[in-house]
Amino acid sequence: MSEMRGTGGDGEDERVRQQSQILKEKIARAQGAHSAGLAGGAAQAERDMSGMGRAMRLGTEFIAAILVGAVAGYLLDRWLNTSPWIMLVMLLIGFAAGVLNVVRAADQMNKASPPPAGSDLGPGTDDEEN
Amino acid sequence: MADPNKVDPIHQFMINDIVRFGDGFAFTNSALFMALTVGVILIYLLMSTTRRSIIPGRAQLISEMLYEFVANMVRNSAGTAGMKFFPFVFSLFMFVLVANMFGMIPFFFTATSHIIVTFALAILVFAVVIVYGFYKNGFKFLKLFVPSGVPAYVLPIVVPIEVVSFLSRPISLSVRLFANILAGHITLKVFAGFVVTLGSLGFLGWLGALLPLTMTVAITALEFLVAALQAYVFAVLTSMYINDAIHPSH
Repeated sequence: MSEMRGTGGDGEDERVRQQSQILKEKIARAQGAHSAGLAGGAAQAERDMSGMGRAMRLGTEFIAAILVGAVAGYLLDRWLNTSPWIMLVMLLIGFAAGVLNVVRAADQMNKASPPPAGSDLGPGTDDEEN
Repeated sequence: MADPNKVDPIHQFMINDIVRFGDGFAFTNSALFMALTVGVILIYLLMSTTRRSIIPGRAQLISEMLYEFVANMVRNSAGTAGMKFFPFVFSLFMFVLVANMFGMIPFFFTATSHIIVTFALAILVFAVVIVYGFYKNGFKFLKLFVPSGVPAYVLPIVVPIEVVSFLSRPISLSVRLFANILAGHITLKVFAGFVVTLGSLGFLGWLGALLPLTMTVAITALEFLVAALQAYVFAVLTSMYINDAIHPSH
């Protein structure tokens, strides 16, 4: 490990980079084996099924927000005798909240399954220093 | 169900009173299976962990795997601070998982196929999130509704959207679980019903019944997956919402 801190010529840099790449791969493999060993068959099944799970999640997140908006607006209208105005506004807000829910859920899913190590994500996204 | 050829896919969700205490309060078949669920979880976990061997047997290994699985899930989505909610998430996960699996046994009642049960679970999660959020962060918990970096003049639009988004979580959490289980069980029953109806039509009917029979077998396998997956999804989302209570800023 000590040679990783060395600051030699170009050859040294190249060697350090190679070394750290090998280490990175080893760590990734060990982590994969670790989580696979812990979760076992259940995790495998859930990875296979995760497409349908994700679809259900996105769908219900969207619908639920619209329902909550519409029902809240309806109740407020009944209370304030302003039918149907608050319900219309809340329905639109519900749509917006639904989109927000879906975007957040998709963001979480993206974070949960990051792209494999070494894949090119375009300029400015490389983290070579570690 | 007097007529054996009449298929009634909804019949399995009927609530029957087992013991009546008067005044509309009764011990129903739903309550019985919820109690059985809790009983099975308790007995299994206690029995499998009493020996505490260093090299675990099969039963102990399953318990340990369940523990590790949920512990990793909570740690990943809510951080180490979320681990104080581990017993809560683990109980929810085990309850939903075992209740769903109970539903896969013929003639057993599926407690999670009623929205009031799943909604009660979801509301419990939200009570915990709101109470702990205010307890831990005070009024800073309301920052959950005010995303950082948003200019003040759009707040009147953003805050209602965030509030509706927050309120929609218990609905989506409960509807997802209930709808998956309900739809799966109805589909299973309908396809199994086709087998019976076609089978009563003679030889050609028997040949035709092979198709829905294959589907029934396939859907049964799918339902086992859905039962496990929905328990997992419920627990993951619970720990994510708990994470919001611990760190309210987005």
